[in-house]
Amino acid sequence: MVRFEEVSLRYDAGPEILSRVSFALDPGSFHFVTGPSGAGKSSLLRLLFLGLQPSDGRFSLFGRDVAGLNRDERALVRRRIGVVFQDFRLLDHLTVVENVALPLRVTGQKGQKIHEHVTELLSWVGLAEQLNAHPPTLSGGQQQRVAIARAVIARPSLLLADEPTGNVDDRLAVRLLYLFEELNKLGTTVLIATHNESLVARFSHPVLRLKDGSMTLERAAYATSSSTAGTAA
Amino acid sequence: MVYLASLAVAAALLVHQVTERWEMSLADGLTIQVPPPSEEDAGAVYSARVDQLVRLLGEWPGVGQARHLGPAEVSALLEPWLGEAGVSQDLPVPALIAVELVPGAAFDLAALTAEMRGVAPGVLVDDHQKWLGDLLVLGQSIKIGALVVVLLIIASAVTAVVFLTRTGLAIHQKVISLLHVIGAHDSYIARQFQIHALRLGLAGGLFGLCLAAATILSAGAWLRSTENEVLPDLALSLGSWSVLLLLPPATALVAMVTARITVLRSLARMP
Repeated sequence: MVRFEEVSLRYDAGPEILSRVSFALDPGSFHFVTGPSGAGKSSLLRLLFLGLQPSDGRFSLFGRDVAGLNRDERALVRRRIGVVFQDFRLLDHLTVVENVALPLRVTGQKGQKIHEHVTELLSWVGLAEQLNAHPPTLSGGQQQRVAIARAVIARPSLLLADEPTGNVDDRLAVRLLYLFEELNKLGTTVLIATHNESLVARFSHPVLRLKDGSMTLERAAYATSSSTAGTAA
Repeated sequence: MVYLASLAVAAALLVHQVTERWEMSLADGLTIQVPPPSEEDAGAVYSARVDQLVRLLGEWPGVGQARHLGPAEVSALLEPWLGEAGVSQDLPVPALIAVELVPGAAFDLAALTAEMRGVAPGVLVDDHQKWLGDLLVLGQSIKIGALVVVLLIIASAVTAVVFLTRTGLAIHQKVISLLHVIGAHDSYIARQFQIHALRLGLAGGLFGLCLAAATILSAGAWLRSTENEVLPDLALSLGSWSVLLLLPPATALVAMVTARITVLRSLARMP
C-alpha cells in the first residue's frame, strides 16, 4: 500500500524535517503517527497525499513509484486517498452536502445519485439535520465529521488524518477514532497523525513515532529508520 | 475594451466601405476639364470647342458615353465647398465632361489626350488614378491604424485577464489547493476559471458592443443632421455589423484561453 525507502524532506535550504525515513503500511492496516509538535507529522502526511515531493529517497503508493507518475496519474492516485485536515479545510460558501460531494464531483459524477450517497454518509456520521448548513454555522465537532465524511465519501483505499481530534473534547475524540476504526474494518488503510499520547494509548494500533526527523515503530515490527534501525520492536 | 475595439474596427470598416464605393464609381471614368474661355474667346467659340470634344470622345474606342455637365451639375459638385449660393457668374469655372469607359475595353489615354489638346489646348484629363491612389493609401493607413489599436486592445485584455485570473487564484487558493488534494485534474480546476472568464468576457463584450453601436449610430445621425456634403454617410453595412458582432465572442474566447493558460501555469508549480 505505502512504502517509504530512506525518504528525506527539507523545505528549500532549511534543515531536514524528515531524515531517511523508511516504513511500510500494509493494506487494511491502522497506524498512528505521533511525535512532538514540529516533529514532521504533517509533512509526512503531505508527502503521502502528494502535496510535497521528497528531497531524497523513494516512496511508492498502491504499488507505483511516485516519482514516475505524471500529473494526471498523480491526480488519480490522490483520488484513492482521503485526507482529514487539522483545520478541516471546508469551503464556507458550500453547504455540508456540497462540501462532502466535492470528491465525487471532481471525478465527473453528477446528479441525484451523489446526493443520495452523501446524505446516507452524513446520516451515518450523525449530521442528517445539517445537510444544508454552511460550515461556519456548525460546531467544531460537526465540522470535523463533515471533513471526515468528505475524506471517505469516495471510498479511499488510504485515509490520512492530521490531528483529527485536535479540536474536540476527549469523549468526541474517542468517538471519532471509533469511526475511523469502523472505516478500517471496511478495508480502508488508516494513518492518523496526533500528538495526543493518552488517546493513542487507549487503542492497540501500531504507532510510528517521529522525533528529530527520524522514525521508530512501536507495537509492530516492520518500520525502520536510518538513525533508529533495529530499534523497532 | 470591446467598446474601443468596436469603434476602431467600425472606423476601418467604414473607410473600407467608402473607398470601395468611390473606387467603383470612379475607376471606369474620366473627367475632362476644358479651361474657362479667355477674354479673346467668344462664348460661342468656346461652346463649339466643348461640343467638338464631346463628339470626339463619343467616337473614341473604349469610351461608352461622354456628357457635358451643365451649370446646375457643376454648381452641385462645388456646393460642399462654395455653399448653396452656387457659382458666381464672375468666377471662371472650366467646362466639365464626364466620360464613362467601357469596362474591360482597350483604351489609349495618351492618344486621346493628344487628340483633345489639338482641339482645345490646355485641356486636362483626369483619370482619377492619383486621387484614388491617395485615397487608397489613406484608407490603408486608417485600416492599419485600426488594426494596431485592436492588437493593443487585445494585448491589454490579455494582460488584464492574466492579472484578474492570478488575483482569482490567490483569492481562491484554499479551494484550488483542496481540489488539487482530492484529486481534481488540472484541467478540471482550469475549467472553473475559464468558464468564469468566458461568461465575464461575453457579458462585458456585449455591453461594450451595445455602447459602441449606440455611439456609431449617434455619430451617423449627428453627421446626417449637419447636412454635411464633404464626409460620406457613416452607415455601416450589414456585413460590417456582422463583423462587429463577432467581437464579443472573440473577446470571450481570448479571455477564456488566457485564463486557462494562466491557471494551468500556476497549477504546474504545485506538486
